[in-house]
Amino acid sequence: MLVLAANHDRYGYELVDRISEKFHIAEGTVYPLLRRLTQEGFFTTYLRESQEGPPRKYYQLTEQGRRYMNDLILEWRIFDRGVNQIIKEGLGYDEA
Amino acid sequence: MTRREFMDELGALLGGLPDKERLDILADYTEHFLMGVKQGKSEHEIAESLGNPKLLAKELLAGYRIDQAQSNASVGNMTRAVIATISLGFFNVVFVLGPFMALIGILMACYAISVSLLVAPFGIYLQYGVPAPSHERLLLLFGSLTSLGLGGMLGVGLLRLTKWLYRQFLRYLQFNVQLIRGK
Repeated sequence: MLVLAANHDRYGYELVDRISEKFHIAEGTVYPLLRRLTQEGFFTTYLRESQEGPPRKYYQLTEQGRRYMNDLILEWRIFDRGVNQIIKEGLGYDEA
Repeated sequence: MTRREFMDELGALLGGLPDKERLDILADYTEHFLMGVKQGKSEHEIAESLGNPKLLAKELLAGYRIDQAQSNASVGNMTRAVIATISLGFFNVVFVLGPFMALIGILMACYAISVSLLVAPFGIYLQYGVPAPSHERLLLLFGSLTSLGLGGMLGVGLLRLTKWLYRQFLRYLQFNVQLIRGK
């Protein structure tokens, strides 16, 4: 979620759409997550009118959010490398 | 389920929240419906993929309660946060309620020790009065001071420990809410 909003601000529907493309989840659960990330100070939100339809709530990544995102990415890379190494050692070939 | 039915059900389930919070949440989902319809989806499809309003409401409530307990530290807020987290699933009865009760028990026991150390000297004084022999008087004086000192230090330490545990436990609750969601 943080990564999706890293380069430019996103609105809720867009984020839900991107996430549910890749993962099979109840789409409604994305909103509680967005609220939590906003409460934690990782996002700020603002409303902006769209050409057609209602105003949309946009999510903007804060500096704190960016730091948190970088921490998580690093953590993930370490985890990923570890798992891949174990698969490689266990099966004798590189899964990736 | 139509948009109307979905929103009505979610709104009713979130009845315990302050208006501002509830309306804000409902606005998010309304926006989602409107966007979806614009993309050519039916209201039924959208409601279907959003998921069960009951589960969403539980999750939203737990999130709100934890946030409340974080910004306003109190026993009541913490209890509400714990209850909301437990309602997310049976798993949490074991993994949240268990540790919570254990921590409360241990803390209460330690507080009881601290209070008894603080009260003991006065109890002895009230029961037996000031002893006549001077060496016994000194013993009572130093004994009392030791007891008061230990009780006081233990009390101060416990207050700090309680605050620290409060914060850690909330983080654990947060982690737990995420874990249940499977993300």
